[in-house]
Amino acid sequence: MAKTSSLKRAGYLCTGLVAAALMGLAAAPVQAQTAGGDLVVVQSSNPPSLDAMVTSSQASRNITMNIYEPLFGFSEDIRPIPILAESVEISEDGTSYRIPLREGVKFHNGDEMTAEDVKASLERYQEHGATQSMLEPIASIEVTGPLEVTLTLKEPTPTFLEAFASPRAPAVIIPEEEAAKAPNEISFIGTGPYKFVEYVPDSHVKLERFDEYSADTDHEGIDGFGGKKTAYLDTVTFRVIPEPGAAVAALETGEVHLLEQLPVPTARRLASNDDIEIYENMPWAFMTFIFNMKEAPSDNPKFREAVQIALNNEEIMAIATEGLFNLYHGWMYEGSTYDAGDVGKEYYNVADTERAKALLEEAGYNNEEFSILTDSTIPEHGKAGVVIGEQLKAIGINAVINQVDWPTALKIRLQDEGWNGWTLMMGIEPYLGPAALISALTGEAAHFRDSDEELDALYQELISTDSEEGRKAVFEKIQKRMYEFFGIIKVGETGLMQASRANVEGFKPFRFPRVYDVWLEQN
Amino acid sequence: MTVEEAAETPEALEREVARARRRGIVRFFGRLAAHRSFRVGFALFFLIVLTAVFADLIAPYEPNKNNYRSLLAPPSMKHWFGTDGYGRDILSRVIHGTRISLGIGISVVVMTGVFGVFLGMLAGYVRWLDNLLMRVMDGLMAFPGVLLAIALAAALGPSALNAVIALTVTFTPRTARIVRSSVLVIRALPYVEAAVAVGAGHGRIIFRYILVNALSPLIVQLTFVFAVSILAEAILSFLGVGPPPPAPSLGNIIAEGRTYLQEAGWIAFFPGIAIAAAVLGLNLMGDGLRDVTDPQLRQGREAG
Repeated sequence: MAKTSSLKRAGYLCTGLVAAALMGLAAAPVQAQTAGGDLVVVQSSNPPSLDAMVTSSQASRNITMNIYEPLFGFSEDIRPIPILAESVEISEDGTSYRIPLREGVKFHNGDEMTAEDVKASLERYQEHGATQSMLEPIASIEVTGPLEVTLTLKEPTPTFLEAFASPRAPAVIIPEEEAAKAPNEISFIGTGPYKFVEYVPDSHVKLERFDEYSADTDHEGIDGFGGKKTAYLDTVTFRVIPEPGAAVAALETGEVHLLEQLPVPTARRLASNDDIEIYENMPWAFMTFIFNMKEAPSDNPKFREAVQIALNNEEIMAIATEGLFNLYHGWMYEGSTYDAGDVGKEYYNVADTERAKALLEEAGYNNEEFSILTDSTIPEHGKAGVVIGEQLKAIGINAVINQVDWPTALKIRLQDEGWNGWTLMMGIEPYLGPAALISALTGEAAHFRDSDEELDALYQELISTDSEEGRKAVFEKIQKRMYEFFGIIKVGETGLMQASRANVEGFKPFRFPRVYDVWLEQN
Repeated sequence: MTVEEAAETPEALEREVARARRRGIVRFFGRLAAHRSFRVGFALFFLIVLTAVFADLIAPYEPNKNNYRSLLAPPSMKHWFGTDGYGRDILSRVIHGTRISLGIGISVVVMTGVFGVFLGMLAGYVRWLDNLLMRVMDGLMAFPGVLLAIALAAALGPSALNAVIALTVTFTPRTARIVRSSVLVIRALPYVEAAVAVGAGHGRIIFRYILVNALSPLIVQLTFVFAVSILAEAILSFLGVGPPPPAPSLGNIIAEGRTYLQEAGWIAFFPGIAIAAAVLGLNLMGDGLRDVTDPQLRQGREAG
């Protein structure tokens, strides 16, 4: 007996409603989409790889999500929807996922996508994927038809589809012959609306419209990572400009069209410029401060509590984000499904110097060096590190700032020694939900080097709980635990400022710059 | 009384030589004081030195005190130079920044002086070492100066000490070269030959006869090293390989201001002015010293 998932039909209903609403609103004549042109998008760093499944870097995702597509992805309201899959049928016992594929989907090399390609791609992900754990529940991948695969899970995993749809390091589908290749050795061939042309490191990545793109006609328009995508532009150039000032100048002169991110004060200045459109993407990420639980003095929970109590989160956030922030203690966004309410609130944004000093004394702190690892590549990290450092010095902690570049920071934080606290903005994890967030904090490679047994147990409980209500209850316990062992401090929530030239039409801010369904208005 | 007349007794001669030297020194400073660009340079530099020494007394605020209620505030009565993205007072940071810059500059001058004199003297005096040492120096000089410093500082890691080491390695070859060329000229002069003839030891010849006379080009060179190292320190900090934040080094302040050139230009402007003033002051002083110590230039000036 199999029950058909309601996934697809819900999708229909939703888009139908949205479309009806839009039609009602759009009584005035709508600007006609015009094809052609070259859209220049600016981002600050090189994509470390364009082999989408082997990297979880945002700089890569920004580009690869326009080239490749996965079987499932998130909709605008963060529910998994089929993209290259037609639908999914989950067996009664929850261990078998029968996935029919969309018909007539073409790769950029002209071949049609088959179940063999899907199997090969998923198997490659199991071996090389940057977030392999999301496919861990899979026991076997079988081709059960020319356009159908069936995934058998080791045990029922209610959160499987959500994890599988994660765009962090997306499980994209590539041709079978490419899937046989090692990481970073593939030709960049996907099924997306744009195909890869060239990558000149430190300069640009060029994409070109894929004329044989087979759009998902089950939708009216784009929806999150999926939906009906239309490529209007002839080419898209992702330019790498590390210097924000240079990127802004290029936007002001019209040399480029879209900035993936710009400094908040600059955005405020440009708001009055008629040639430029500003987008505020809020909330975008958590600002966190992560402890190394293996290195003194941060190996002591009392010491960590002292830091939590000492911090003035408002000051850190105001300076680090230049004013685009939100203060909330919760480990999920306020008002979202898993928001655990007031749990832990009494520890948040306390800034109580006296209490912190008392806790330090209780911890037996003896002026050991507290090394704050931060980077200058992501300005928010560097600034948060500096402000935290000053605040900790004020309660008598011997705080030293170690500001390096981002790749170096990523290297150092994987060591058990040489750092005590690390500033990190977590964008994608809280977006993906509790399982994705907590999985980064548990297991062998937990962010705090050591792991917290209780948190690990709660994580297992979370991913094996069937109902949403049940998972909510577990998440509440998780949030409580977070404010008991203080392995990580949530500093606050940040936003992301984006900007485009006014002639860029159809752009909707999202987790990555979607360059499909975007066109250039011709003057 | 001429020197010849006084030379009747060795004691009298020595007294006379000492008197002549004192007169020479007085005349040297008199000439410096009369040199217009030296006076301007000295005044500028002296002002900056005072600022650096009394930074704690002059600065109106703590240089690292954050204030998130006045981020990027423009210059006003409360904050003469405005505030930066942390709400820190730029005036106070620039004042403390001169201390860091001068500290690094002086350290580099001292270390470059010591190593440059040592190596230059060795190369110029011990002939068989000349080729070896100078080829090594040539090798170091083959790299563009600041680039070498950046590479070294990046390799050593960001800290003030490492910046000093990187700059010393970069500037020592040039200094050594100048010392060597002076030594080569001086060691062939009759008075050195006379010293050798009367049986003076190497130590006496080097320190008493050669080094003293090689000092003036060295001092001129060192003022330029001072100026260039202040500039280079700013470059290193700007690139994030100088003293780590939140240290208010002038380069750090400019680096923090570069994102806001359009919105808050004052952050980069004032430390820029401070660097320019320090470098200008040192260069003017260097020019003055060169003019006064170079007999040919001096004759031209005095004749004209």
